[in-house]
Amino acid sequence: MATRDSLIRVRDLKKHYHGGSIRALDGVTVDIEFGDVMVVIGPSGSGKSTFLRSLNLLEEPTGGAIYFEGTDITKKKYKDEKGKTVKLDVDGLRQKMGMVFQHFNLFPHMTILENMTLAPIKVKKMGKAEAEQKALALLERVGLKDRAGDYPIQLSGGQKQRVAIVRALAMEPEVMLFDEPTSALDPEMVGEVLDVMKGLAREGMTMVVVTHEMGFAREVGNRVLFMADGLLLEQGSPEDIFERPKSPRLQEFLSKVL
Amino acid sequence: MDQFIKLSNFSKIAPYAQLFRQGLLVTILLSLFTVIIGFCLALILALMRMSNFRPFRFLGIDKEGHQKEGGALAAISKFNPLAFLATAYVEILRSTPVIVQIFIIYFGVFSIIELPNFQLFGFIKFGRFFPGVVALGMNSGAYLCEIIRAGIQSIDGGQTEAARSLGLSQTQNLRHIILPQALKNILPAIANEFVVIIKESAITYTIGVQDIMSAVNAVKGATFVILEPLLVATAIYFCLCFPTSKLIAYFERRMSHGDKR
Repeated sequence: MATRDSLIRVRDLKKHYHGGSIRALDGVTVDIEFGDVMVVIGPSGSGKSTFLRSLNLLEEPTGGAIYFEGTDITKKKYKDEKGKTVKLDVDGLRQKMGMVFQHFNLFPHMTILENMTLAPIKVKKMGKAEAEQKALALLERVGLKDRAGDYPIQLSGGQKQRVAIVRALAMEPEVMLFDEPTSALDPEMVGEVLDVMKGLAREGMTMVVVTHEMGFAREVGNRVLFMADGLLLEQGSPEDIFERPKSPRLQEFLSKVL
Repeated sequence: MDQFIKLSNFSKIAPYAQLFRQGLLVTILLSLFTVIIGFCLALILALMRMSNFRPFRFLGIDKEGHQKEGGALAAISKFNPLAFLATAYVEILRSTPVIVQIFIIYFGVFSIIELPNFQLFGFIKFGRFFPGVVALGMNSGAYLCEIIRAGIQSIDGGQTEAARSLGLSQTQNLRHIILPQALKNILPAIANEFVVIIKESAITYTIGVQDIMSAVNAVKGATFVILEPLLVATAIYFCLCFPTSKLIAYFERRMSHGDKR
């Protein structure tokens, strides 16, 4: 049953390695609502990237559940409304979740336009002309329409990341996942990428953002999660987290990064 | 044996120049077909080795549907028969001499399988040439498999993650993202394998393939001159291999130039 209240419900999510001796995630429970801009912060090694990557199953969780539109996607098989056992369509699921990576991961052997139209054409079976038209419109939005014929190598880091964002948007996802999207950028390029993300947030896109940009978290996020040691230690509005941090761990973290 | 190399001996073998010309053609054809067969075989082997085919996977999944950690069942569930077969093939072919493999193919396999008895270009005996190509191709496939595997693994994992997160299937990812990049990277290595096979193919004269070495043997038998035909063969092999490898090195430099980020 698809519930309209939450887009993604994460329940007691665990990711253990080596028979439990390493616990990247140790029981995370959280709801992601439609239109949420959820910002995940925490020290490195806290499990925030693992959490994000688990959402579209780039990491296979070892315990717990993730309900996306009501279906537990951590199970390889599930029962549909008629009680029939169906195999989980991981590829179909991932189409609904756009992902943006720290290192952009553009395809270097393809032009910007080809990067953007590949998945719509091959996965959504969209016509080439239509896919290109949509891609160009998206590129125009981020001011890169004139670079459509270039290869990724010819772009700056900030431009690459803007392309990576609209490449994910070209699949018309229901939620966008950002894995430290500005961490690999030169400082002067961070702004242009954050601006694109702010624009997305204003349009009501559901976003989960792992970042070290506290300014972004404060300004754009409507909910902030603080993770440490694979646990979700504190969550709340940006004001709660930044002005009235409760746990000593968070207070210590904030004193270091702010 | 008063003189090491005699000019007069070269004039003795000169009438057999046609044999060397034919031998040159056979060597080139043999190497070309070997690389093609070897590459196709290697691609299949590499994909088998890297496949995620685990027929006993269900044994390692607990009641809740999660992967079990540790235990015999978890180990069995990770067993991949395709990868096992491919690995066994590669290791066996890399750990035994080529000449043994060629003899097994020629005297073993093709003594059971009857080959049509005709001659390519009017002189290449198919019944000898074909087993030679098969044996060398099987051997080179084992080596090229490792080259292709390294080429595929050299592609940044982020490429696969990006492709899969866009909804591309494993096959689509391989076809559109990984293989185009990997093959471009390993093209020089494949061309080098071609040069290696040109040299290695000399061994097929032992099963009667009429390559350059067999021309040497024929001339030796007819004229009782040994060293001079060998020198001619040396010159031919060198002229074939040296420029080719230099050419490859040139393109390798040029291609890596365009890749700098």
